[in-house]
Amino acid sequence: MAKFNIDDAYNFESLLSEDDRMIMETAREYARTKLEPRAMEGNQQEIFHPEIPAEMAELGLLGVTIDPQYGGVGASYTAYGLITREIERVDSAYRSFMSVQSSLVMHPINEFGTEEQKKRFLPRLATAEIIGCFGLTEPDHGSDPGSMVTTAVKVDGGWVLNGAKMWITNSPVADIAIVWAKAKEHKDDKPVIRGFIVEKEFKGYSAPVTHNKMSLRASHTGEIILEDCFVPDENAFPDIRGLKGPFSCLNSARYGIAWGTVGAAENCYHRARQYTLERKQFGYPLAANQLVQTKLANMLTDITGMQLLVHRLGQLKDSGELHPSMISLAKRHNAGKALEIARVARDMLGGNGITGEYRVIHHVINLESVNTYEGTYDIHGLILGRDITGIQSFTPRGNDL
Amino acid sequence: MKFIVCIKQVPDVYAPLQIKNGELSMDTDRMVLNAYDASAVEEALVLTEQHGGEVEVVLIGPDKAKETIRKALAMGASRGHHIHVEDSTGLDSAAFAEILTAFFEKNSCDVIATGKQSQDTDSGLAGGMLAAHLSLPYAANAVGLHIDGGNTLVVKRQGDTGQEMIALPFPCLVTCSNDMNNPRIPSLKGIMASKKKPVESLTLEDLGLTLDGVRESVKTTTLSYREMPAREAGKKLEGDAEELVSNLLNLLQNEAKVL
Repeated sequence: MAKFNIDDAYNFESLLSEDDRMIMETAREYARTKLEPRAMEGNQQEIFHPEIPAEMAELGLLGVTIDPQYGGVGASYTAYGLITREIERVDSAYRSFMSVQSSLVMHPINEFGTEEQKKRFLPRLATAEIIGCFGLTEPDHGSDPGSMVTTAVKVDGGWVLNGAKMWITNSPVADIAIVWAKAKEHKDDKPVIRGFIVEKEFKGYSAPVTHNKMSLRASHTGEIILEDCFVPDENAFPDIRGLKGPFSCLNSARYGIAWGTVGAAENCYHRARQYTLERKQFGYPLAANQLVQTKLANMLTDITGMQLLVHRLGQLKDSGELHPSMISLAKRHNAGKALEIARVARDMLGGNGITGEYRVIHHVINLESVNTYEGTYDIHGLILGRDITGIQSFTPRGNDL
Repeated sequence: MKFIVCIKQVPDVYAPLQIKNGELSMDTDRMVLNAYDASAVEEALVLTEQHGGEVEVVLIGPDKAKETIRKALAMGASRGHHIHVEDSTGLDSAAFAEILTAFFEKNSCDVIATGKQSQDTDSGLAGGMLAAHLSLPYAANAVGLHIDGGNTLVVKRQGDTGQEMIALPFPCLVTCSNDMNNPRIPSLKGIMASKKKPVESLTLEDLGLTLDGVRESVKTTTLSYREMPAREAGKKLEGDAEELVSNLLNLLQNEAKVL
């Protein structure tokens, strides 16, 4: 009779290629031995230990899917997903740092950059010599980025950018920012969204820290302020126009989030199982109670679904058969389920679940962000709803203002 | 300078349920490189990085143990030797030492290194037996290694009262403690590069042996494996100092009977 593995009920890891499994093991060992010991301090004290990017880079964990000639290792998207799962098992904040560097900064430079831009930035991003951030969301434009008000106006030799971006992971420590702005070549042109590589030394660029963040405390978040910031022509992406540029980046990052949240959910499930087996009340382990067992059964069932969803998603991405709505489905499902699992695990740990030492509440609060960023749970529902019905419902109709 | 490190694939200590019905299950979903062997690989890599040379690894095991050879190659070893034994049930340390002896009669090197024991059985015998078969100078349980003059391995051993330094002339054999170092985590570049490194595939017949013949050299029989007995909860005494001392004395005299 086959064995039943309570960590991987349908043995999805046995379907992985040897390369992917070895990469997973490297990420797992790094996360367990190097990140976990710092995660508690990182989360409680709001510290992103500055040596972490270089450690990740040394193992080759940044921009793994990028061609080796630009500093990547040319690994599969499944491998990228497996890495995010291992890192987010410890803390979504570390995975957020990595997602931004890999999917939101290296990916657009690799996809939309000139050969010169790729050579200038990608190898240094892969070694973490420079850190990147990604500016799309604005104070008044979150789910509706098409309404952005940041502008880029053509001048001699470059562009002048004005505007503000908000909720930008890595911005306070970033050396470069991928900024999306409504660009006009001439005064009377219709504006079109274009992407720019803004360097921190550019005059008019600043990136103040966002304070009093309750979630993702082990990574940096800030704003990007652009005040008549001149960006030379060689730092503009040459051809990409419109929202498909930033959406391509978000799809890549959302793909990583769908995988990463599996790790956070698995960690909460492990901790809830261990705690309820050890903690005795009324003479028996909590885990001997039916209420507890069905909670654990629900967790394992949801986690198994999450694992199979991303495994198949990875196969589709690696074979080039991926539709963005497939990513919306997985990101929405997995972030939502991970948050539910984390909240239930917190409950199962009782009063101890409130303290940071047990680490489950860190996941709960982190996952509140993860469920919201990169397309909220509801917005991904509307993307799927539009596919299912053929009717877009992002704007309310019949109640026009 | 050439190192050949003997490595073994073992069940992950983090994997649950390794013993069933008195048998040690080698069929866990997670099999890993024995941690002591990983320290031996790491030390061999450090020494060859400092002094030049190369590190090869040899492993006895089933087809799926190839992944463990790849891990050592991903860490930086340059070549692997895989001695295929699909089912090693019943083979003891003496049998493994015999197979390795046949291998080393055909493959020479300056230093044979291996873990001081393996995580699954913790026997700690194969290294010493191999040294005896090959008549090599030998030191066990090394916590540090360095090279002296290009043809001597200086082994640091941790004793109860101090450290012992032993000089072994090449060729020699050393077994390594996991206290020696923190083995490197293979980088993704190392993993990708390991695909292109050669792994020699050997059968027992290639070494002039047969499985039946090797089984004849088995000297021991394992009767059964048992789980570690669960620790019983301690007693907590409460009260003022006088009560505590009196209760403790009572327990030590009448229950534990140690006074």
